[in-house]
Amino acid sequence: MHRRLPLSFIVLGTIGAAFVALPVLGLALRAPWGRIVEILTGPGARTALRLSLEVSLLATLCSVVFGVPLAWILARGTFRGRAVLRALVILPLVLPPVVAGVGLLQALGRQGIVGRWLERFAGIQLTFHTAGAVVAATFVSIPLVVLSAEAGFRSLDPRFERAAAVLGAKPSYTLRRVILPMVAPQLVAGAVLAWARALGEFGATITFAGNLEGRTQTIPLAVFQTLQTDQEGAIALSLVLVVLSICVLVVLRDRITGTG
Amino acid sequence: MPIDVDIEVRRGDRTIAVAFSVDDGETVSLVGRNGAGKTSALEAIAGIADATGHVVLDGRSLMDLPPERRGIGVAFQDGMLFPKLSVLENIAFPLRAAGVGRETARTRAHEKLAELAPTVDPATRPATLSGGERQRVALARALAAEPRVLLLDEPFAAVDAEAKPELRALLRRTLADFAGPRVLVTHDPVEAMTLADRLVLLEDGRVTQTGTPDDVRHRPATRYAAEFVGTNLFQGELVPDQEGVGILRTGGGELTVVWPDGLRTEPVTDVRATLNPAEIALHTEEPHGSPRNVFRGAVEEVATVGGRARIRLRTAPPLVAELTTGSVDRLGIVPGREVWASCKAVEIRLMVPGEEPDTL
Repeated sequence: MHRRLPLSFIVLGTIGAAFVALPVLGLALRAPWGRIVEILTGPGARTALRLSLEVSLLATLCSVVFGVPLAWILARGTFRGRAVLRALVILPLVLPPVVAGVGLLQALGRQGIVGRWLERFAGIQLTFHTAGAVVAATFVSIPLVVLSAEAGFRSLDPRFERAAAVLGAKPSYTLRRVILPMVAPQLVAGAVLAWARALGEFGATITFAGNLEGRTQTIPLAVFQTLQTDQEGAIALSLVLVVLSICVLVVLRDRITGTG
Repeated sequence: MPIDVDIEVRRGDRTIAVAFSVDDGETVSLVGRNGAGKTSALEAIAGIADATGHVVLDGRSLMDLPPERRGIGVAFQDGMLFPKLSVLENIAFPLRAAGVGRETARTRAHEKLAELAPTVDPATRPATLSGGERQRVALARALAAEPRVLLLDEPFAAVDAEAKPELRALLRRTLADFAGPRVLVTHDPVEAMTLADRLVLLEDGRVTQTGTPDDVRHRPATRYAAEFVGTNLFQGELVPDQEGVGILRTGGGELTVVWPDGLRTEPVTDVRATLNPAEIALHTEEPHGSPRNVFRGAVEEVATVGGRARIRLRTAPPLVAELTTGSVDRLGIVPGREVWASCKAVEIRLMVPGEEPDTL
């Protein structure tokens, strides 16, 4: 269907599109295409890539393991304070990541309210360790799993659960055989979004876990550090994230474009 | 009886109160309009709706048991088959949930499928099935774990008209083979009258009548009951007229009836009367003959079931007549047409308060 649009909107819209496209174009044009393979297979880049993959996948796993049950509670629970709990869980999505990092330090750092006990009794230190980077990435990505999974659980006809119960299924069996298979698309979408968010995580990680090569220096941190000395190296690493982001868009295209 | 139900279910601002019992090998049909509370009652028995009161099965209260431990099989409205499981996995579901081994469960599911839906591919997903096939699979799933009680919720709701007779025959066999108590929830008179041993009529969350289909047919307690069994029901004051004849004055019009033997010839209030729709004759011109009751009015609705047509008439009182479709065509009966309806006084069965039922 053709509809006449006001000229002012066409102009402003075009500027908006160009504004979004230009940085990506800049990266592509300035990329050191001749040495890109050499840069990315170099020891520093390889360490950052491997660490990023490790941290982001572990963070996704944690987000799913803790986020899906949380989403279930939010979708099906009928307790007081549910709205407050939901707001709290979504907070990391809007919180500035550096603030999240400061908060994590106060909670789980060496002097943190929980962290000091973790270190004293379990010998666990999160700051300056890969586990700390995973914690920071999980913190910012868990809301994406919760939101997506909760939407999935809510769209489910509750009569399926009741039917399963009448057929003799305990709640855990119903969850495994009936409910989770039905919400699998939303769980996958939530996990992919969480992974993308974890992969790009910068502020909370550098604040909480630090910037140690091979331990907490993921690609975004490596990009930031390399940029001071080696612009082309930073561009090459950035392009890796661009490609991965495009992959996420492709995987989630139906949900993002809204055109089915 | 094996199962005794006496429950109250809250639904928003109203309460549904239902009490009935079902014997082994007996089919009780819970009937009522949409929203009367049939499904709520069924859900309360199955344990998936909060209810007060009691459900006792074999002398043991079920009220404190979760649904998965009640031993009740339910074939849900629309089947409620699990979309991500194959047909076979759906039927095996209650067996697997009860801890039956994978291979045994599959074998028994295959048997149930062969018995109830032999044409359905066991590996297919429920979404590809027709309404009738879905209902057959739902029935197989409900029976797979050999429940003590079988509940069926509107088994024909999503089934095409052409598929209904075959499904009804299958259901009749299945119900006959099931040894325990059977409860069929429906709003369809044909299903209830052909499949049930007893009817429990629900109106606005209350039981208004319980009885065999014949009981209800002959002595419907309410207008809905009369409509349900397809009978005309009248209620009003009976006053003597000529020798042996009375007039029943209803709010909607008057009927000439035979004065009951032995009844004192003085007015009686609150008399009910039924008239079988098949006893009403329709005419396109004013009839002159023996029938004492002749009413003129427009045809409101013509509904055809099988070879029979039920014709709703805007007469005083309003009537439902039943004719063969051949007669309807021959007389040219269409909605809006003015016709005359007649019936003999002797065909109107009176129910006088305090008197024995008229069992003509």
